[in-house]
Amino acid sequence: MVEAVRTQGLYKRFGQQVAVGSVDLIVPKGSFAGLVGPNGAGKTTTLSMITGLLRPDGGLIEINGHNVWTDPVSVKAHIGVLPEGLRLFERLSGRELLLYSGRLRGIPLEETGRRADELLRVMDLLESQDKLVIDYSTGMRKKIGLAAALLHNPGVLFLDEPFEGVDPVSANTLIDVLRRFTASGSTVIFSSHVMDLVERLCDWVSVMSRGHIVAQGPLAEVRGERTLNEAFLDLVGARGSGDEGLSWLGSSGDPR
Amino acid sequence: MTMLFVRLKLRLILGNLRGDLIKQVGFAFSLLSALGCALGGFVLFGLLRLASPDVALNVGIVVFTLFTVGWAVVPLLIFGVDETLDPSRLAPFPLTTRQLAAGMFAASATGPWPLASLAVLAGGVVALAEGVGGVLIGLVAVVLQFALCLVTSRVLTTALSGALRSRRGRDVLAVAAVGVVLLSQLPNLLLNRGLPGDPGALLSSTGEVLRWAPPGLAAHAIADGGLVGVAELVVLGGVVVLLAWLWIVALRRALVMPDASNQGGGTVRRSWIDRFLPQGPLGGVVAKELKYARREPRGRVAWFTAVVVSGIIMFTLSGGDGPVGLFSAAGPACLAALLIGIQACNSFGIDGRSLWMNAVTFSSDRDLRTDLAGRHLAMAVIAVPVLGVISVAAALLAGNAAWAVPAAFTAWGLLGVALGVGAVTSVILPYTLPERLNAFSGAAPGQGALAFGSSSLGFLVTGALALPVVLPVLLGIGWFGLLAVPYGLLVAWAGRKTAGLVGFARLPSILAAVSRAT
Repeated sequence: MVEAVRTQGLYKRFGQQVAVGSVDLIVPKGSFAGLVGPNGAGKTTTLSMITGLLRPDGGLIEINGHNVWTDPVSVKAHIGVLPEGLRLFERLSGRELLLYSGRLRGIPLEETGRRADELLRVMDLLESQDKLVIDYSTGMRKKIGLAAALLHNPGVLFLDEPFEGVDPVSANTLIDVLRRFTASGSTVIFSSHVMDLVERLCDWVSVMSRGHIVAQGPLAEVRGERTLNEAFLDLVGARGSGDEGLSWLGSSGDPR
Repeated sequence: MTMLFVRLKLRLILGNLRGDLIKQVGFAFSLLSALGCALGGFVLFGLLRLASPDVALNVGIVVFTLFTVGWAVVPLLIFGVDETLDPSRLAPFPLTTRQLAAGMFAASATGPWPLASLAVLAGGVVALAEGVGGVLIGLVAVVLQFALCLVTSRVLTTALSGALRSRRGRDVLAVAAVGVVLLSQLPNLLLNRGLPGDPGALLSSTGEVLRWAPPGLAAHAIADGGLVGVAELVVLGGVVVLLAWLWIVALRRALVMPDASNQGGGTVRRSWIDRFLPQGPLGGVVAKELKYARREPRGRVAWFTAVVVSGIIMFTLSGGDGPVGLFSAAGPACLAALLIGIQACNSFGIDGRSLWMNAVTFSSDRDLRTDLAGRHLAMAVIAVPVLGVISVAAALLAGNAAWAVPAAFTAWGLLGVALGVGAVTSVILPYTLPERLNAFSGAAPGQGALAFGSSSLGFLVTGALALPVVLPVLLGIGWFGLLAVPYGLLVAWAGRKTAGLVGFARLPSILAAVSRAT
């Protein structure tokens, strides 16, 4: 198995709180990998450190065998990133954002323009390509963000919650593009807490809980005989009962 | 129900302070200054009694009017500070419009600054009232005047709340805020130029006009203390009721209006400049920076302020008594260069949370240097012609067009020095610029000291480094200006080189510092 991403003992602390405690993440090359975990499990922190945006307190990160923090030249040209939130240059139009992204990476202007046109068409953003990103909806932002991350044809793509707040139509577009991308042998790693989606898309799953990896491997191995959702709830140890209290809730009570 | 709103407001004030020492200290300071203003304002206003009745009345009219205008404008500039002010948050609750209006009125009267205003206004009774009738009418007038302030501010914020929530509305308001700050300098400037002559005449003519506006009626009623005063109070009361009614109408409309903030704005034209810029990252950054200077309100505000302040200085220096000679031409140009250059002290601040997009592509210190070079180039593209025009204008005002040449060269050189210094402060002292711009804060909560440190360090170091070439020119040795440009370019290059080396190593810290929540 050739690994696209490998971390060893990755560690990050904010003040007293350990956000990521000794994470050994492995993602095989060419896989569509899901990083799942409840809120606050350390998914975003882990992805930020792997993509070189947050300095780890300890541990090793390798992408395609190159160390991210000691050899950034060999890494940064080959990864694409869509971070959490919708942090884009909001006063550029969608098209200008893509052109800017391409120029930053040294792609010739005509080539960037050609790729931008195709990406805008595939993402169904042609109509709003000249509107400012600040006026985009959540789904449109995620799509233009993904387009910017794909523009330089990266080998490994990191997406933090790419489907959060995205309508079904836009989500479908995103999924189509990502499937084509991995079918060619490129790698996608995305974080999510929507289990159904991960189960439907991914062939590799890493489960995080409280700053640790609690399970990792091919989807079939991690979920076993259960659904991924059941396996996940067992793994993170959260099986509450919703039967107690709330006797006033429902049609038998007064709306007051 | 009204008490509930008051308690909600108090709870919001307290909740905002929980667990944040800097905010607590800030609030204590604000509380003390409100108390100081209340006492000081009351006493000062009251002391007007010692002046002649005519002067006292005119000052009283002006003060009452200023309070009303202040109450109308200030909450607009800092809209969003207080959740009780936004009716859309209260819309889901089953409240009648009347309950909502009474509650929001009471909530806006709660807090240190409203109470301080009431105290200062009450000083008007001490200043103006004659006899028992005057005091009685005065107390009613002060309460009505206070109500007028509150209702005026409510009407405006509610009527504009739709616009204030939309992106375009906030953009316009941000630039308008600078206009308000500048307008407040206008009387100062007029008095300096000695235009209307005697300040006493100015006061009485202002009082004559404002006397018929509602706040003027209140002040006059206190001084009158008789039947005329009662009649004026009736009119004032009518105005308050009318405004309250308008407010209720606006409130009713605001509650069911669609949220305009998600409706798309217009499209932008594709820029043709891009084709003439260098290929690769350098050209990309220049193109982006030029667009930001035009489209980002914070960028527009900074440029606008720099130009207008230099203009004011230019007119002040040429106003007769000031220094003469080359100084009066080169001085304003250099000041403009400094004010424009100081924008570069926190180059990454305006990118804020989107800076990651650049950071994921930086693989060596050279990339960061290129990014800074792009920013400098973009700034130069705008600043070099602007400084040229200011130099020519200042030289013409100073009376010798030839002075424009040394003035322009010196200013360009100074700009280079400021950019070089700014590159270094940008990487060692970066801070977050708040997204919602208002006239009263330049940094995210808790980073105020950092912002102050960054710009004062920038000013000091720029001043010290530029002194060898700027001082001789200011003293009248014009040919020294020729040295300024190469010197400025050298400092800018050295600054970028240093910033690249230092900044690349601390890129994640820079990213965190400019991406604070505001």
